[in-house]
Formats: sequence, C-alpha cells, structure tokens
Amino acid sequence: MMNFWAVSTEILILALMVAALAMDLILPKEGTRRGIAYVVISGLLATLVYTFGLYHTGPSMTFFGGLFIADNYALFFKQLFIVGMLFSVLFSMDYVEKYIESPGEFYTILMSALLGMCVMASANDLLTLFIGLELMTISFYVLVGQRMDDKDSGEASVKYLIVGAGSTAVMLYGISLVYGASGSLDFVVICRSLQMFFSIGLAGVVLVMIGFFFKLSVIPFHMWAPDVYQGAPTPITALLAMGSKAAGIAVFMRVLYTAFPLLGAYWLPVLAVFAAICMVGGNIMAIRQTDVKRMLAYSSIAQAGYMMCGIVSADIAGMKAVMFYAMLYVFANVGAFAVLTCVETMRGGTTHRHMTGLAQSAPILAAVMTISLLSMAGIPPTAGFSGKIYIFTAAVERGYLWLAFVGFVMSMISVYYYLLVAKAMYRDLTPEEEAENTAVKIPFAVRATVLLSVIATIGTGIYPELLASLTNLASQTFMR
Amino acid sequence: MKIMGDFGGLGIFFVVTLIFPITALIPAFLLQPRHPTKQKGIPYECGVDTIGKTYVQYRIGYFLYALIFLVFDIETVFLYPWAVRFGALGLFALLEMFLFLGILGLGLWYAWKKGALSWK
Amino acid sequence: MMDIFSLSAVDILNWSVHIGLTHFLLLAALLFSIGLYGLLTRRGIIPTLMCVELMLNAANINLVAFNHYRPVTDFSGQLMAVFSIAVAASEVAIGIALAFRIYRERGSVNIDELNHMKG
Repeated sequence: MMNFWAVSTEILILALMVAALAMDLILPKEGTRRGIAYVVISGLLATLVYTFGLYHTGPSMTFFGGLFIADNYALFFKQLFIVGMLFSVLFSMDYVEKYIESPGEFYTILMSALLGMCVMASANDLLTLFIGLELMTISFYVLVGQRMDDKDSGEASVKYLIVGAGSTAVMLYGISLVYGASGSLDFVVICRSLQMFFSIGLAGVVLVMIGFFFKLSVIPFHMWAPDVYQGAPTPITALLAMGSKAAGIAVFMRVLYTAFPLLGAYWLPVLAVFAAICMVGGNIMAIRQTDVKRMLAYSSIAQAGYMMCGIVSADIAGMKAVMFYAMLYVFANVGAFAVLTCVETMRGGTTHRHMTGLAQSAPILAAVMTISLLSMAGIPPTAGFSGKIYIFTAAVERGYLWLAFVGFVMSMISVYYYLLVAKAMYRDLTPEEEAENTAVKIPFAVRATVLLSVIATIGTGIYPELLASLTNLASQTFMR
Repeated sequence: MKIMGDFGGLGIFFVVTLIFPITALIPAFLLQPRHPTKQKGIPYECGVDTIGKTYVQYRIGYFLYALIFLVFDIETVFLYPWAVRFGALGLFALLEMFLFLGILGLGLWYAWKKGALSWK
Repeated sequence: MMDIFSLSAVDILNWSVHIGLTHFLLLAALLFSIGLYGLLTRRGIIPTLMCVELMLNAANINLVAFNHYRPVTDFSGQLMAVFSIAVAASEVAIGIALAFRIYRERGSVNIDELNHMKG
C-alpha cells in the first residue's frame, strides 16, 4: 500500500486548487472574487502550519516506489514556496481586482504552479522532476499572460513560452541520454552507474544542465528573463523571482548531489565559472535599468549566481547556506514586490519616475523598499549580510577564494543600483512634482505583508540562528 | 529460404506504390489533348458553380474546440495503458482513474460555464 | 560491397536491413537538429511550436528506443515518453491560445514584431 502521508502537502494544495476553481464557478458571475483569495490564504496558512509537523529525524517517507521523497530538505523548500505564495496572494489582492480579468482562474493556476514547485522539491527521479518542472513552468506561461489590458504581458508570455518550451526539449533530450547511459531514471541508480562516464552520459548531463541554466536564467541563457519579468503582472514577477528560481535551485542541487556526484570533477568548475559570470553580468546589466521590475530581473540573475556559489561548495555547509539565502531572498522579495505592486496599483507603473516622492506620500513603503533592497545587496544588519557571509565562507572553505572575491566585489557594486531606487524615492521634489505627488492609500493586507517581511529581514539579520537551525534540520536527512 | 527482414517488405511495397500511379499518370500526361478554358479551370463541386472565394479561413471557434479536444485526446494516452492492464491493477487504479477523469471533467465544466463551448 | 546491378529478384526479396539502436538514435538526433534549426530560424509562433514538438518527439524516440534495446527491467522510458507527450500537448495548447491573443492584439503572429520591451 502506498504511503499517502508522503504527499499530504501536495494533496492539500491540490484540494485548494480545486476549491478555488469550484468557487469561481459557484460564485455569481459579476460578483467580486475576493472570497477566493481569502480561502486560498487561509488554506495556505493551514498547510504551512501543517508542514512544520512533518519534520522528522528518522528515515524519510517515499511515495510511488521512491519516485517521490518527502525528506526535510524538500519540506524546507515547500515551506519557502508556501510562504512566498501566501504573501504574494496577500499583497496582490487589490492589484488582481484592478488588472486581472478572471481572478478565479488566476488563483487556480497559482495553486497549480505551487503544486509543481512542491513536486519539484520532492523529486527523487527524473520523471518526477520533469513533471513538477513542467507543471510549474506551464502554469507560469499562463500567469505571465494574465493581464489582458497590457500588450507587454502577452508578448512576455509568448517569449517565455518559446524559450521555455525549447529549453524543456533540450532538457528532455538530455534526460533521454542519461537514461540511455545509466538505464534508469532513478537518481540513486544513475549515481551508481559507471556508464555515466561514457560520452553519451556526459552529453546527457551537459544537456540537462543547459536546460536548468535556461530555467534559472543563468547568463548566457538569460535573454528571456528581463522581458518576461517586465511584462508579467507584478505579483507573478515576484513569484518568478523567488518561487520559480528557488524551485529550480532546489531540484538542481538535488540532481547534482544525488544523481551526478561522481561526475563532480566535470561540473564543479563549469558551475563555478557560470556562477561568476552570473554575478558579474547580472549586476553590471542591472545598473542602467530604469524600470524597477526589469532591474530586479537582472538582480535576480545575480542572486542565482550567489546561490550557485553555495552549490559549488558541494558540502553540507554550502547546502545550508543556499537554503538560508533562498529563504531570506524570499523575505526581501516579498517586501520589494509588495511595495511595487502597491505603487503600480496606485500610479500605474514601476519605473523610477513612478517611485519618485514615495518617501513623502507613503514613508512606510519607501522604508520597506529600501530595507528589502539593502538586504538583497547584503548590507548589515539585514538578513542578506548573514546569508552572503554563510555562502562565501562555504565557498572559501572549499578553495573557491576567487569566486568569493568576485561575489564580494559585485555585491558592493550592486549597492549602487539599489540605492538609485532609494534616491528616486527620497530625493527632494520640485514644486511641480510636489503637486503631482498623489497620496498612496495602503491597504491593510499590504501593510501587514511589508511589516512582516521587514521584521523577518531584520530579525534574521540580527539573530540568524533560528533560520540556520531550521536549515540544519533540513539538511540532516539529505546526505546519508 | 531466408526470411525477409521486417522492413524489406515495407521498402518493396513503398516502391511498388510509387510505380503504380506514375505508370498510370505518365501516358495520360503525354497523350491528353490540351484545350484549357476558364470553365474547365474552376473547381468541381457536383456540377454547381462555386460561390464566393474558395480560399476560406477556418473560424476561430474551431480552434477553441480543438484546444478542448486536445485535452481529452491526450487523456487517452493515460487511459490506454490502464485499460490494457486493468485486471492486474485492480480497484485502486480504478478509483485513481476516476479521480483523474473527475479533475478533467471539472475542467470541462469550467470551460462550459465560461462559454468556451458556445458557438459565437 | 555488392554490385547493385548484379542483384537478382530473389536477392532483393531476401534483402533485409537490421534496424538497431543506432538507427533510432540517429533518427532522433536528426529530428532534434531539424527542430533546433527551425526553432532558431522560423519567425511565426505556430512553426516554432511545431519545431519544439519535433525536438520533444526526438527525445521520446530516444527514451523508447533505449527502453527497448538496453537491458532495462522496467518500462520507465516508455512511461516518461507518455508523460512527455502530455506535457507537449499542454504546451501546444497554451501556445495556440497565446497565438490567438497576439493575433487579436497585433494582427500578426510574427515573433520579430514582439519587440516592444527593450533594454
């Protein structure tokens, strides 16, 4: 008999998805769809609380003959996705009401994207990996194009679809070659297969890695990311930056550590170089952006580079650092995008021009934005500082001093473009601008979200042990 | 006698099917009288003259149907292996398949309610 | 090398090609390359999707061929192919839906004209 407790989180999310769809059908056609948002939020909150009870110290539960594993590592990332999704739904209620044509559909597909992320985090087999990845990506193709009033949204969706589908095909071809070399899709069997060292196996690994690089928008496979991030509805951009990227990192790390660890001599140097390229390129290209969403797209490329530094360490310390960093990146992202969403709902855009005068009209939003951006740059006492310390320490201990050095220098450079946004918000206004500076009404949900995100960012920065102990617990069941 | 390979027969069949129409068409092409008139050039529609342009685009409504059809088309990919091994899989697989069909049915209900099936 | 003109009719009937794993892999590699070439050169959304479909099906051929010819005990390769067919179908469904939308907004489905965002 199969152990359904292993997939209980996924079953809850699926139930939530079906509930959202059914509610959209049952509610009167013209009425508001806010009720669905409340149901989704409370459901996600319940699921989040429930997942804390699943942490364990013994052997992990598996499902479907080892295709799916519910270890602490997967659990940690599932909580990360649920937290990100929860806050995104919370701060985007007004945005959805204003810009999204069919909110019921929107929430349903959000849940299916979350389901895909959770399946990815638990993947213990290339089949599960592929299904989870596609469930998430296909949901995002739809979500990116949800703004019917905006041509950019459709354009972004088409670009994402074409690049995404192409990279899926490349990855599937790689998977087929790995399968041909090792004779199995199971990570453990692939790891034990010596035939992976034949050229066909190595070619498969290369193609699978290229597929991941596309999904993680690693330079030079990043060309879709800025356009998609800019064109997508702002809450979806937030989820792409934190959820989709973290899910990709989670499963990438598991594949590298459990399926291809013996090939480490091949992929480690490659990954280190790509991490460096990401950090340099992402930060340099972010400097000249004036649209904050587009700037955050390039910034997220750089953040993926930092996280890859941790993967390159290839030990428990590196893994914990990546998990720590992914979580605090969620906090920072929630803060920044909650502010952006609020500004876009009130002022209709997210460029530096729209941010001008925010310090006068909504000081709390300006402060939260600044703190979140500083956390992304890694300035103490925010959480980003401790996260970067963990990552670079792990890299230095494994002999990647040059990588840590590149990361450190690029973090310093990144402060510049993050502060450009702060400058736009805090600079003195000319009299004309003063007159135009409309007051910003902050809904209660947004206020709660930004306060929670700031508390999490500062709290983790001052007292990182709490989150660190959680990552410790999460990594325990991984490598044995 | 050696048994013919799996694909040898197929190859010969392919060649023969090419030769037949070509041998029939080439003499006809060489011998036919050529007196083209406009009347002869119009497409044959049971003897009645065609009305309007013959090149018509499909209505967009067909494509909406095609999208919904696609879902149930692909569903068969999963149904077929299940049906083949139905006896061995038992009640649990039956329930699972009904769950699967139920989710797809919910999708169809949604499409129906949103007016994707009404002909506009 | 046998002279093709000296073959008798019986020879041709007995002619057989042994189709092995290599042939399937070559076919798949060819399909994948054609698809990749098309993906990089074609400008319409629909032809691009068709090229992606070619690439995915190349991977499917690989999976099924490996499952058949390699000493594999289970049917994991065929299973993977079944799932990838479903994934490809949903990708195409969304692609077509997006093509409608783009056509309605701009009156064309040319990817090169999707260049509003720059930077």
